[in-house]
Amino acid sequence: MTSSQAIVGDLALRHLDAAYNLGRWLLGNEQDAADAVHDAYVRAARSSDTYAGGNARAWWLAIVRNCCLARLATRGSEQRHVAIDQIAAEHGREAADSLLAHSDPADVEDRLDHAQRRALIARHLQELPTEFRETLILREIEELSYREIADVLQAPIGTVMSRLARGRALLQKSLGPLRPNEVNHGL
Amino acid sequence: MDCSTARDLLPLYFDGELDRAASREFETHLDTCADCRAALIQLDALRRDLRSGAPRLEAPAALRERIRSEIPRPVTARPRNPHQRWFALAASCALAFVAGGALVPLWHAQGGDSGEQTARDLFASHWRALAATSPVDVVSTDRHTVKPWFAGKVAQAPLVQDFAEQGFALVGGRIDYVGSARVPVLVYRHGQHLIDVFVLPQASGPARRSATQQQGYSLDTITLGGQPAAIVSDMDASELARFIQLLGSTK
Repeated sequence: MTSSQAIVGDLALRHLDAAYNLGRWLLGNEQDAADAVHDAYVRAARSSDTYAGGNARAWWLAIVRNCCLARLATRGSEQRHVAIDQIAAEHGREAADSLLAHSDPADVEDRLDHAQRRALIARHLQELPTEFRETLILREIEELSYREIADVLQAPIGTVMSRLARGRALLQKSLGPLRPNEVNHGL
Repeated sequence: MDCSTARDLLPLYFDGELDRAASREFETHLDTCADCRAALIQLDALRRDLRSGAPRLEAPAALRERIRSEIPRPVTARPRNPHQRWFALAASCALAFVAGGALVPLWHAQGGDSGEQTARDLFASHWRALAATSPVDVVSTDRHTVKPWFAGKVAQAPLVQDFAEQGFALVGGRIDYVGSARVPVLVYRHGQHLIDVFVLPQASGPARRSATQQQGYSLDTITLGGQPAAIVSDMDASELARFIQLLGSTK
């Protein structure tokens, strides 16, 4: 029992949401994601003495990712489809919840549009090949730098850039053209 | 910069991975090229889409509890435990910051060491940002992008305003450390000057105007949306005064 294990524990807890979110998008369901993150904690605590400095969050997420990929590898393709359906179902449930929460009939239709759009985005993201999906999550949701993403994926920065570009292009294509009311935002 | 070069740089610019010189060159091209502007807007729209459609999921409480219970010396359960040096150190840093924050308005009135340390931190943070590949973590001239970006990263998202029309354009934001506290930093550009506005924790109480200088850079304190804030830049005094007036002019 060394103090480095306590530090790893603190690191894992501090970036637990990031780890779980990555796991959820890699594995497709809550239970597997939670189990994989726990595996990752055990593995990280065991190898805490070998941590050689550098970005601690990237080091931790790299371990989480490896544990997720190990689980994915042992899983059949049948299960993978179930996972996608589960994600879609959960997003549908969220959509229904958000409708019930604000039931002013005037803009229910508008909100339904938004809810459907969100479910569509989640579905298309889940259907992207793993390497693009994980890169997009790390960049757009976790806001890691290219260098940090490269550390997590254990790949060159050039690979990060090409996966990001390809992932964005694929997602833009599947989501269709920009809706007119979005053109006004930003930039 | 021709358009095909700009297209290659576009994602790097969008992701905050270009250095300042390259960013500026890219922005010069952007001013003249509607296609590149449209491509940038598409990237921004996709990011918004992803953040609304795939919001970050919170880890289940059971998982958090399970890991917490397996940590050899629980780092948060019994902070008095003498073995928990790491946590104690972190806690004392946080405390030192709160104390430092309380002294911010009194920098010169009292000349306390903590206040001077905070000022040194702020200058150092500004210089570090100038030397980094990008002075901002979120690139946006839209305050509606910058403010939500802060939410969830710091306890209280700061008041974000853009003064592009008055010559002080919002460039983006970043999170930086003052002492051991994470504070939001709003980044503005005025001509060649980069301006950092550090929004400090509420603990410092009502800010009294105080200014200090170091190596040609100046630091001034104001109240921004009810929170104390510190401005660091290399603008001259009259420009700084005008900027402070702008920041103070809105609610």
